[in-house]
Amino acid sequence: MTVTLPERTADAGTTSVRKRRTFRPVGFLLALPPVLLILVFVGFPIVLALGFSLGFTGGLNHTVAIIGQNVHESTSGFGTLAAYQEVFSNQRFLTDLGVTVLVTVLATVLVISLALGIGLFLKLRGGRIARLLSGLAIVPLFIPVVISSWAILTFYSGDGFMRSFFAHLGVEFPVWSFTMVAVIIGSVWTSLPFATLMITSGLQAVPDAMIEAARDAGAGFVRIVLSVIVPMAFIPIIIATTFTAIGVVGSFTVPYFLGPNSPNMLGVDMSNYFSSFNQPQQSVVMAFAVFVIASGLAALYVWANFRSAKEQGKA
Amino acid sequence: MTLFSTRDETEVSTTTEPALGGAPAGDGGNRAASGEGLTVRGLHKVLGGRTIIDNLDLQVNEGELVSLLGPSGCGKTTTLRMIAGFLDPDGGSIQVNGREVSHLGAEKRPSAMVFQNYALWPHMTVFKNVAFPLKLRKRPKKEIEERVDAVLELVNLLHHKQSRPARISGGEQQRVALARALVQEPQLLLLDEPLSNLDAKLRVKVREDIRGIQQRLGITTVIVTHDQEEAMSISDRIAVMNAGKIEQFSTPADLYARPRTEFVATFVGSLNRFEGSYRDGRISDGSDVVGVRPEDVKFSREPVPGSLPAVVERVVPRGHFQELFLRREDALLRSFASGESPAVGEAGHALITRAMTFRGDQRVDADQPVNGGQA
Repeated sequence: MTVTLPERTADAGTTSVRKRRTFRPVGFLLALPPVLLILVFVGFPIVLALGFSLGFTGGLNHTVAIIGQNVHESTSGFGTLAAYQEVFSNQRFLTDLGVTVLVTVLATVLVISLALGIGLFLKLRGGRIARLLSGLAIVPLFIPVVISSWAILTFYSGDGFMRSFFAHLGVEFPVWSFTMVAVIIGSVWTSLPFATLMITSGLQAVPDAMIEAARDAGAGFVRIVLSVIVPMAFIPIIIATTFTAIGVVGSFTVPYFLGPNSPNMLGVDMSNYFSSFNQPQQSVVMAFAVFVIASGLAALYVWANFRSAKEQGKA
Repeated sequence: MTLFSTRDETEVSTTTEPALGGAPAGDGGNRAASGEGLTVRGLHKVLGGRTIIDNLDLQVNEGELVSLLGPSGCGKTTTLRMIAGFLDPDGGSIQVNGREVSHLGAEKRPSAMVFQNYALWPHMTVFKNVAFPLKLRKRPKKEIEERVDAVLELVNLLHHKQSRPARISGGEQQRVALARALVQEPQLLLLDEPLSNLDAKLRVKVREDIRGIQQRLGITTVIVTHDQEEAMSISDRIAVMNAGKIEQFSTPADLYARPRTEFVATFVGSLNRFEGSYRDGRISDGSDVVGVRPEDVKFSREPVPGSLPAVVERVVPRGHFQELFLRREDALLRSFASGESPAVGEAGHALITRAMTFRGDQRVDADQPVNGGQA
């Protein structure tokens, strides 16, 4: 018995190592379907589109290159930036790029401010009104964007509710339908639920003792918010900010319904260039411009996560 | 009081006179009369229709360490939170060094609190955590650095100045929390179950650290705890709380030796509890409650005056002493014994040297040891 026991233990050890080795490819195979799905249905089209924007019009890009107008073809094997030069020298595109960035920044600031306001109200005061506000902020989630866009359009139109209401008071309210103001309102409406859910839960997760410790140290409301609550809910706030900004920068329905013909956001431009103007290559170039902005926001998200992990001693 | 001065330890009150909700006699009483320390009068709090704190009075003298001791839900943390300013009392007054503070928010009170879970801000280093209260007071940078260094040295954590809270141990985190409170040079230090998250060995060390620092700085201190051993070992006086009231407020030795109520006798220390009456060293039928401390039960092989025959039913080793379960004709008694342990089943004699009698929770016997027993 005493002799065989260690042998058995050794055997068991070898078996478990062998088992682990056999499991490794099995684990990889289990992870393969989603990886393949992303590679084939997302990665591959991105590579094709990048090639098309650089003037590679052969292969799978052949059909779209034949149908599309104003396609710049690469005459060398290195591709051409002609389509990029054309789009980035187009004043309308540059104005629309500026408008897109401006709407994104303003809508994101408004959404995060509102969500933070509701979250802080709920965290620090609580009560029925705070719960009602946080509940109301979720409502847009259950109303399709098309419907809410139409509602906003008629609400601020020339003969809409706001104009009529203020006319009764003898005040002329501006027409916001088909302006960028309506686009910002629509963007805030659609983005608010997610940001509120994210930030409210993030703020609720800050332990009350941390806030009480700050109060005990002599901190007032502003100092508590700036020095304790916001830094401690930094990750949820950054997630809400980046996701809101990425959502707004690439939005289509809201600016398409609520915005003017020009200037408008790049989402509408891309659609126009792709279908109405039949210039798919220019449309793809615009898409890459939006992609670069979104990548910058994604980098911010990754940096925030890394910073948080470092703070918690995990990195 | 500054962090850089120390105080004579002999100032700590050593009164043995029990005082319910009031100041002890002697020096402490004089200081209380001058309005120094913490004075709580008629504190009242109702939460959810239930009276949590019922007309509570408490006097903590300057430089004294008082524990609020009681079971869960007795209102000790609620009392501390009202003293700290995190909870508004429904009635009563709270004075710190003679100044009424009950209308002030926590940020304006001259007290500092150490929280049960330390409540260190994870995004700040140890230095920044401790420096935060001074930054709020807009102290010069040089002064902040000097004071933080001094207090970190006091709690022996200067080497962890730039560490994040997540990178240091539980005991060290607790000392950072203490440093953050001390750096404010508070007139009143409040500690809410400060040791409950530490393991047994560390708990003993940190509590000695806390007591040592408190005595050196002479800070008036209130500690909330449910651990009677902890309260007994570091407090000048203990307020035993039950159902929102202070049952007894006295020195640890006095509480143990002369509990006023059955609750205090049961909560502080071990107790053999019987329903009946006690007469001539024997427990007989009756409607009172008799309490006998295990150390007041003596086992001997030979009979002594007042003892009754007993058989050892169980022996539980407790390290440096044994807990014996002795079966007498009148009761099964627990006894603490040192030295050579009797064997299970061994016959001998058990003597009750001292017993307490309670009627309607109140102590009714004359507080005299019998047969030379020790109090």
